[in-house]
Amino acid sequence: MIRRVLVSLVIFASILVLPYWVYVPILFVGAVLFSFFWEGILLVFFVHVVHGSEVTVLPLLVSPLALSLLIVLVLLLPIRESLRSYV
Amino acid sequence: MKRIVILLVIFISGAVVFPFLDALVISTISPVWKAENVIIRSLRKGVALFDSKKSLVEENIALKEKLSSLETEILFLSMGRVQENTLLELVGRKARSDTVIATVLTRPPQTPYDVLIIDAGSNESLTVGSEVSLPEGPILGVISEVFPKSAKVRLFSASGEETNAVLERNNVPVTLVGTGGGNFRMTLPREIAIEKGDRILSPNIASRPLATVGEISVRPTDAFQEVLAKSPTNIFSLRFVFITP
Repeated sequence: MIRRVLVSLVIFASILVLPYWVYVPILFVGAVLFSFFWEGILLVFFVHVVHGSEVTVLPLLVSPLALSLLIVLVLLLPIRESLRSYV
Repeated sequence: MKRIVILLVIFISGAVVFPFLDALVISTISPVWKAENVIIRSLRKGVALFDSKKSLVEENIALKEKLSSLETEILFLSMGRVQENTLLELVGRKARSDTVIATVLTRPPQTPYDVLIIDAGSNESLTVGSEVSLPEGPILGVISEVFPKSAKVRLFSASGEETNAVLERNNVPVTLVGTGGGNFRMTLPREIAIEKGDRILSPNIASRPLATVGEISVRPTDAFQEVLAKSPTNIFSLRFVFITP
């Protein structure tokens, strides 16, 4: 749990001061490493608010990055379940 | 299934709530970026004292930036700024001089899109649509969002952004399409003469440089040629910009 909070804080700080090619991969790595990484969605929306533009994929002002992370998280849920059953 | 629903609820809530928080978030974070700029500059100076080789490298980089800036200025001056102003005065269209100077707080690659955040906002009479340019003259983009003490600038090179322009060589109107990272793309009929280094200007009366032609690709079977152009400056190292309210 502490590790999860720490990683979220690191990503948050990276969004503020580091290039996108640092924090975007970390976000996706976080999504793979931690189960049900819902904080990632909030962090991606934070990216969109801080650095975002009018780049959207839906009329709901959804950033492509946020949508990609949601898809990754949803796809990872059944994969994680399957992996656990064999451990 | 329950977790998927929770993710969707978080996603939809974020999509609805976060756009209303941008003014608050950017006002809160701006001091962090200002402090970051100051700290980075101080660190660079501090390290230079202990590392002569590194200081030489930095000096080299600074000189290159200066050279790039001067080249851009020469590019702009070559159009005959004085002559242009005289002509504008003759036709009763004086060049505006009420510009605001702003420091760039964040720039690509910190921002994933070609967006800048500057430290001037509605308190300095900036409005959405105000033109943002380099101190040397070339125009970079327009203000897309304004907050009291800061503003977001959408560069013309932002992905998918379409900008009307004029090819200087033969005065052909073209549409520049931003591809990110300070780059542009445009498609022209292959009969139009164009060469590497040609300038692409804004279509208004001031005709300010928007981009310079980088690469041209045309296949013998194609009726069109694809032209790649780049911004007249390095957008990754922007420090100051001028805004015309």
